[in-house]
Amino acid sequence: MKKRIVLSFVLLVCLTLIFVCLSVMAGSASIPLRDLARILTGHGGDDTAAMILLKIRLPRTLAALLLGGALALAGYMLQTFFHNPIAGPFVLGISSGARLMVAASLIAAAQGAIRLSSAILASAAFLGALIAMGAVLLLSSKVRSMSLLIVGGVMIGYICTALTDILVHFADDADIVNLRDWTVGSFSGMKEESLVVCAWIVLAASAAVFLLSKPIGAYQLGESYAQDMGVNIRAVRGAMILLSSLLAGCVAAFAGPVSFVGIAVPFLVKRLLGTAKPLVMIPACFLGGGVFCILSDILARTVVSPGELGISTVTAVLGAPVVLVIMLGRRGDRA
Amino acid sequence: MLEVKNLSAGYGGRAIVRDISFTAAEGEILTLIGPNGSGKSTLLKTLCGALPILAGEIAVDGIPVGRMNRNTFARAVSAMLTERPKTDMMTCRDVVETGRYPYTGTFGLLGKADRAAVEEAMALTDTSELAARPFGELSDGQRQRVLLARAVCREPKVLLLDEPTSYLDLHYKYTFLELLDRLRRERKPAVVMSLHEPELARAISDRVLILGDGMPAGYGDPGELLGRDNLIRQFDLTDALWDKYHG
Repeated sequence: MKKRIVLSFVLLVCLTLIFVCLSVMAGSASIPLRDLARILTGHGGDDTAAMILLKIRLPRTLAALLLGGALALAGYMLQTFFHNPIAGPFVLGISSGARLMVAASLIAAAQGAIRLSSAILASAAFLGALIAMGAVLLLSSKVRSMSLLIVGGVMIGYICTALTDILVHFADDADIVNLRDWTVGSFSGMKEESLVVCAWIVLAASAAVFLLSKPIGAYQLGESYAQDMGVNIRAVRGAMILLSSLLAGCVAAFAGPVSFVGIAVPFLVKRLLGTAKPLVMIPACFLGGGVFCILSDILARTVVSPGELGISTVTAVLGAPVVLVIMLGRRGDRA
Repeated sequence: MLEVKNLSAGYGGRAIVRDISFTAAEGEILTLIGPNGSGKSTLLKTLCGALPILAGEIAVDGIPVGRMNRNTFARAVSAMLTERPKTDMMTCRDVVETGRYPYTGTFGLLGKADRAAVEEAMALTDTSELAARPFGELSDGQRQRVLLARAVCREPKVLLLDEPTSYLDLHYKYTFLELLDRLRRERKPAVVMSLHEPELARAISDRVLILGDGMPAGYGDPGELLGRDNLIRQFDLTDALWDKYHG
């Protein structure tokens, strides 16, 4: 058991390193490994290559790593919260809620009503995620069935997306170009300032999730068992809602829509570890989400090169089959 | 020692059980008997701390539970519930280990004493050989024993059991009672449990509390309270119905 967990972590860390290297090397101008070493150690090399690497590819790779980790953790917490393996920020409409508020603040900024900053974007996304989460919670108090909750969440997502479209429609022509780009979803184009804000939020929230691994483990057994173990259930539930909204909101603000990572990664990681214990699941999910998103990002910009696919296109192709596997595997259980 | 005085409890501020008083000393078994909906589960949930006390008092070793923090309370009182735990990818040992939760530190890791308590509880409940088995694959009887081990490894002063013998076949019913009897002699917790079978209650209980519509309808010696006439009265039966099926 312990051996398997250690080996899983070794594997995840190696995969992270390998994909980070591949991600900064691959692209329309490929940078060979020896140049990579030279640039990173500051021994010159090609100036253009150094520019591409440090200003474009490295930030993009780090964004994929951080936001992928954030998505996987948000998904993991929502699955635990609802005791539902196919819950996630995307299917429950939480990402769409965040995007609605981000769109609203982008347009407000374009109209000159507010000054845009990464912190404002992240706050708007957090607020939007919380509003959508509120709607999902209301729904979950009315419906007992797991599948109905998911269908309801998808509907909430559609409503938010429709409202976002309406907002975009009324925005000025010049802003639309920007917004259209952003509605596809991508890890590229993050400025250094955004990346720093994003890294602080994601790392702090992920650390907080990790510190909650003990009560989350109790909560997994069911609420009456957690109660019996002396857990303050309202506090744990509240913390899980806030942290998953913050993480999902952060992704929506800085990368746009990224689908299925939140469901597929925790499922795959759990199979890899052979346990659902939060103490190991939380760090493993973070690494797994990072690996999954870096891989997806590499595919997004190399498969149709010199063009580029939306990140969600790739994560859906990789992730949706996993969701189907989960659903088929649950045939025997209650719906 | 568990003392309950004039307790009222229920949901949303509305009392479902009223004016309940009883005591259960170390190693004593108090059994709750009553028709469906008479408030047995509500009373047990209140004793676990899952429902608020609306009036009256619950005290463990003389300390009112309202004055204990969550963790102290969880160490003193542990419960075996009717609801099945969600045990995705958990072995039986994992499930039993969750019983030690109130003793663990920030990350919930078990220490040496915790592990020893888990092994002892599993030995006591004859579940040691199930330790590495996935909990989800157990039979009803095995599951109840593992959940009992989970409740017992906490070494509680008060052990609460909600219908522990339901769904068990005759063999498991009797082995479960035998286990409980051994447990109360060796570990001496005060046990409060609900049962549906008066004959089992008569055989194992030191005292019974009969509930009728949320109110106490009898408290005391099992032999006296669980006789034919009283059961017919409490469970709304007729002499003819009883005699037909009891020959």
